[in-house]
Amino acid sequence: MHIPDGYLSPSTCAVLYAAAATGWYSALKRLKRMLLTRVVPLISVFAAFSFVVMMFNLPLPGGTTGHALGVTIATIVLGPSGGILAISIALVIQALFFGDGGISTLGANCFNMAIIGSLVAYGSYRMIAAGSSITSRRRVVSAAIAGYLAVNAAALVAAIEFGIQPMLFHDARGTPLYAPYPLSIAIPAMMIGHLTFAGLAEAVITAGVVAYLQAADPALLLSTSGLAGGESLTLRPASGSLRRLWIAVAALMLLTPLGILAAGTAWGEWSPSQLAKTGVVKVQVSKSANHPSPAAVPAGLQKLATLWTAPFPAYAPSFVRSRAFGYLLSAMFAVGFLLAASLFLHRFLPRRGRTEYSG
Amino acid sequence: MKRGFLESTFVGFARVVTRAMISEETARRRGLLQALDPRVRVVGLFSLVLAVTLSRKISVVVALLTVAVAIAILSRVSLFVLVKRVWLVVLGFTAVIAVPAIFVTPGDPVATFGFLTITEQGLRTAAMLILRVETAVTFTTLLILCTPWTHVLKALRAFRLPKEAIAMLAMTHRYVFLLVETASQMLESRRSRTVGILKPAAQRRMAARTAGVLLSKSIELSNEVYLAMQSRGFRGDIQILSDFRLDAWDYLGLTAFLLAGGLAVWMGR
Amino acid sequence: MDGKVSWTMPVLFELQDACFEYDGIPALRGLSLEIAQGERVALLGANGSGKSTLLRILDALHFASKGSVSFDGQRLTPELFQRDDYALAFRRRVALVFQNPDVQLFNPTVFDEVAFGPLQLQWPKETILSKVAEAMELMGVTHLRDRPPYRLSGGEKKRVALASVLVLDPDVLLLDEPTATLDPRSQSQVVDLIQEWKGSSKTVITATHQLEIVEDIADRVFVLEEGRVAATGIPPEILPNYELLLRANLVHAHRHSHGSVIHSHPHLHSHSKHEH
Repeated sequence: MHIPDGYLSPSTCAVLYAAAATGWYSALKRLKRMLLTRVVPLISVFAAFSFVVMMFNLPLPGGTTGHALGVTIATIVLGPSGGILAISIALVIQALFFGDGGISTLGANCFNMAIIGSLVAYGSYRMIAAGSSITSRRRVVSAAIAGYLAVNAAALVAAIEFGIQPMLFHDARGTPLYAPYPLSIAIPAMMIGHLTFAGLAEAVITAGVVAYLQAADPALLLSTSGLAGGESLTLRPASGSLRRLWIAVAALMLLTPLGILAAGTAWGEWSPSQLAKTGVVKVQVSKSANHPSPAAVPAGLQKLATLWTAPFPAYAPSFVRSRAFGYLLSAMFAVGFLLAASLFLHRFLPRRGRTEYSG
Repeated sequence: MKRGFLESTFVGFARVVTRAMISEETARRRGLLQALDPRVRVVGLFSLVLAVTLSRKISVVVALLTVAVAIAILSRVSLFVLVKRVWLVVLGFTAVIAVPAIFVTPGDPVATFGFLTITEQGLRTAAMLILRVETAVTFTTLLILCTPWTHVLKALRAFRLPKEAIAMLAMTHRYVFLLVETASQMLESRRSRTVGILKPAAQRRMAARTAGVLLSKSIELSNEVYLAMQSRGFRGDIQILSDFRLDAWDYLGLTAFLLAGGLAVWMGR
Repeated sequence: MDGKVSWTMPVLFELQDACFEYDGIPALRGLSLEIAQGERVALLGANGSGKSTLLRILDALHFASKGSVSFDGQRLTPELFQRDDYALAFRRRVALVFQNPDVQLFNPTVFDEVAFGPLQLQWPKETILSKVAEAMELMGVTHLRDRPPYRLSGGEKKRVALASVLVLDPDVLLLDEPTATLDPRSQSQVVDLIQEWKGSSKTVITATHQLEIVEDIADRVFVLEEGRVAATGIPPEILPNYELLLRANLVHAHRHSHGSVIHSHPHLHSHSKHEH
């Protein structure tokens, strides 16, 4: 799922860098408040651990192998802020030390795997494991499901990023400039691999580690357990501030289209005339027969697209009403929705372990 | 028979160590990139990567690839290594993704085989994708090969990242080596106690257990490191010493990089 | 046996009934001792006797849960260490070398490692550069300046760890098993270093279970057992006391079937695992 350089347009990269930076900033701020001065050693060593675990090549049922992402176990032990930072740092080191994953796409990779991965892992784990004891079987199952969902959510977001490329970024003759496949191809292509192998690898390693910790070091599972007395790492969830992080990310997603516009103009990539052509290309597209037409885009998404472009007043620039723009908006909306849903879940999670950090 | 969990994981571990060795060795050679300040290298090569993603013309991306090869030769990076370790590998990965685009991209038909139609747009987008990825990866590889990690870190200080970020990158990298060593030893001792080939389920249990032990150890290690930092006066604020000075060559190099990048972006509009 | 100082120098550390627990498991159970300025002291004890914990208490990394710990007449409390001025002055005067050098060496290169302490104390840049060069020279690690820690041998790591604390020119040096995992040559280098400080007003407190180095590094010995001081005295009093050493789990019974000369059986508990 590491997106290399060249798959995403510079403006997409810029927007996702901004999104990732917002996540990093709030995660760091929140962690500093909880952990005071021990953020650096804890997150660094944990990032190193995640990096090593990402190298584990797990045999999967069916004879294949897969690498885990490690984001779920990081989130279960450190909480979402810690998970975001530890995995982001591991990803940065992979990119700058190994060349795994691009430099321009580093923000995108961190956003998908560290931020979306962490938030989805946290939300699903807390929800499914809610109320169970530290050593219960349900925690192991929750960890597996959380891992599976986290990796697939990250893959879905990456697929959406890929899928909007050909609609938004192509030359005058319709040649896609970056990732060439529309959402209708990108989403199934990405998801098949992740719904099977990559998701399983994460589920296996997360469940295995949680089961191990239940027996060997249960204190490490306390901080995100939602149970009282989560003090092993002094990482007790101080709930209010987490919600702020999520709101920030969700709000950012909703503002993303503005960011794309700003960035797009800054890079000189978009001009109103080019955008006007988008529509023309799309018409052409639907006429040829040897490829999936835009109609193949999930109907729900299309509805969202119209839903989103509809509220714009008639005097808005023409490109705002273009279909491609609608897709972009709906993609971003989808991600924002994901976050909002997690936010909603979080609100109604039992919060017995809600003690502020002390000492 | 495929390699088991242990073998393939060891291959990954070995890669960490060789990567560090190679860059330290290449970084000692006297070449173009090595002569420049790490900050100039990082800024320069990053800007060329950006130029690769910004340009919209195949010809310009090809020109940038030529520049990359020229920099590689001048920096005494073996082209053989570049071809074998980078280009062929990347080609393998990218072609799988790019080739179907030749057929599914809508546009002007060039040739038809039964129900498959090759479009001009398809050919162009596939070529563009492969070239872009190859060129960007070449620039990144050049940076990685010619710059030991400690220099990359020092260069990142110049980017005004938060000091915590710099400190965490440095410390993570440092402890990756320790944890790779620890994990290797754990897996090695398990391997020596294992007779025959483990069933996949047993391998998964072994992987999860190893990861679990490693996790406990990591938390303990981080607590100890925190004490060691406090003992030497750490109060929560990272202090960083930067002792870089740029000379005339560095400025010249930086200008050349930025000019090349800027030119490519302008030509490739 | 109460660890009172028969010394003309002023008392530096004073512990009275100090207790400390890790997650409810007691490590110190009412430990009392006094250490004077300029003394060279060995803390002898088996694993789990509380000597590492004691060093961390002396370095104000942990604080006694009961009883009191004073340094230079000032009682050490967490509140006191909230104050930057006191904390930094203390860190500059008291230095701890951890048993595991991988814990102590957390920086990307040897130079960064040695410069870490001075940077925290916010010395001027020129001072830092010259002091770091001096400390690296002193410990003979100048040629390793730009090496990352994973490319250092065990002995080199220990010397870098020492350089990284000596750069602050501390008054008190706390050493946790400084020779435990070293080859003989590196061991003797470390012992030489501790001896070189003899006569100066520096205080050196070494926790060890290696009886063979005690006479070289200490003027006075505390034997620790289960978080308390079991005995104290000068090395010639303590080292021949076989009963005491046996009780403190510092020697094996079967090794002593022939004679009672300590030096004839080096390396009694050669595997020193970390205490917690």
